Amino acid sequence: MTAGAIRISGRTWAAALLWGLAARFAVLMLVVLAVFILPRLLPGDPLGIMLSSDYTQNLSESELAELGARMGIAGSGAEQFGAWLGDLLRGNLGYSATHARPVATLLAECLPWTLLLILGAMPVYLVLAALAGIGAGRAAGGRFDRGLTGFVTILASIPPFVTAVLLMLGLAILWPVFPASGALPMLPSDQLVIRTGQIALHAILPVTALALHEFARFYYLARGEAAVLTHRPFVLNAVARGLPPCRLLAEYYGRNILPTFVARLSDSVSGLVSAVVIIEIVFSYPGIGGLIYGAILDRDYTLLQGATIAVAAGLLALNWLIDAAGTALAGRG
Amino acid sequence: MLFGLAAGLLLLLVAQPLMPAYRSSRDVLTAPGREHLLGTNDIGQDVLTGLLYATPNTVLMALAAATVATATALIVAGAAAAAGATTRNMILRLVDALQVMPSILVLLFIGTLMQPGLAGLALLLGLTSWHEDVRVALAMLRRELQRENVRFARHMGASRTYCLRRHVLPAIRPALAALYLQNIRQVTLRAAGLAFLGLTDPRLLTWGGMMQDAMEHLYTPAWLWLLLPPALALTAFLLIILLLIENDPAGARA
Repeated sequence: MTAGAIRISGRTWAAALLWGLAARFAVLMLVVLAVFILPRLLPGDPLGIMLSSDYTQNLSESELAELGARMGIAGSGAEQFGAWLGDLLRGNLGYSATHARPVATLLAECLPWTLLLILGAMPVYLVLAALAGIGAGRAAGGRFDRGLTGFVTILASIPPFVTAVLLMLGLAILWPVFPASGALPMLPSDQLVIRTGQIALHAILPVTALALHEFARFYYLARGEAAVLTHRPFVLNAVARGLPPCRLLAEYYGRNILPTFVARLSDSVSGLVSAVVIIEIVFSYPGIGGLIYGAILDRDYTLLQGATIAVAAGLLALNWLIDAAGTALAGRG
Repeated sequence: MLFGLAAGLLLLLVAQPLMPAYRSSRDVLTAPGREHLLGTNDIGQDVLTGLLYATPNTVLMALAAATVATATALIVAGAAAAAGATTRNMILRLVDALQVMPSILVLLFIGTLMQPGLAGLALLLGLTSWHEDVRVALAMLRRELQRENVRFARHMGASRTYCLRRHVLPAIRPALAALYLQNIRQVTLRAAGLAFLGLTDPRLLTWGGMMQDAMEHLYTPAWLWLLLPPALALTAFLLIILLLIENDPAGARA
């Protein structure tokens, strides 16, 4: 009987994963369709825009037709979509005219910078939010809690781009201790150690802005959990036994808060990406957000389309993997 | 607090014909003084006047977009509640997958192509943030639909619309109000970000757009009166909404 139960739960587990994959694929197809159709609803075509703005004007009919075919705007709508989708499936995201490079290459170059910001900020805000939240939640309603929660409430009301601009203004312009933009100085050093230091120096302000933005969310979470944990018998008992504070923090509060943090982390990915995009733009950081913004300013629709689809696909796949891992862990227990 | 906010907004709208025009002048980049209480920008427009004109745009747009988002979420949740288990599961899976998409990707893409004005922005933001509320709205609806007052009313021959209007909607109104406030907050943040990046109609005056104009003056003292007033207005508005959410007992439950 137990074997049967396990088999059924195994089957529903696989079905749930497949359903999740199908739904994510449907959303990706929606994105792909929107990204394909929306630019074509606009008056004028990319070729006309490109020729009217700059570049050479005296092209023959055959050259124009060839250029149109290369930009994927030759033939009927269905033909264009078929060709474009075929390219996408083969991993060809198109060719950026302004950068004179394939979109996929550009994305691959920008991704590490974005990951650096996200992975640099994540431990900072998670640890700080956990410590601050536990401290406030253990004595909920006390002076420390009221002061800190009031401060975090104000912090949570400042949009991420305002935080970024104020940080840049304060620590890069008025009191220039950090560089205001970019990921490397104009002439980066050849030596690995100095270069790493330069990268770190440039990353500090964007990472701080990102960490400040995400801090509030996890602070509230840790505070709420800690406020409940404080009144649980095993914690009361541990306090009465006179357990060392750091052990109490790590083994009693930390371990119990960890699962909620992990669950929230997978929910917060889309918000995190939104914040990192806008922060990269403020600091002219060469990550994916900066790349997308550059594409917007240059009206480089091929790059904009490719980047949008690639980021969407990457996030959907990542979220599905996290979900699968979570279900596997839950199914084990 | 909410009434005060609404009254102030109404006053601003009514007083708009009486306010001085937001026009350029020769007093370029003057510091705050008696003539211009908050100084002027790089084409001589008075910052305080601009702030007052931008307030109804920013706030009304947020209210409208939040209405669109909440209403869409309620309709989708209603459809899911009325549908069979398979359809409901499909809707929920789709909503989950939509939640993975960072709204900024879609907003950047559409904003670049369309440069939406007030109505377009409200619609765009509403239609890109409804999916976050569907699960909550569905849980509320199903809980209320299964209560005995609805069952009795249905048994006595009351129509579905009557039950919806007289039993379900009044019961979920407080929770809906909390969802609405959450949406206002989200939508304001996103709209300000979009305007800050210069992806809204350039003629539409908003706090985010004013901050975008101030970005060119970060290296001169003018940031003091060009950047800070709209940033403070935005933060104050978001703070008021956040305090309303936190003090709302229904919000704590939802």
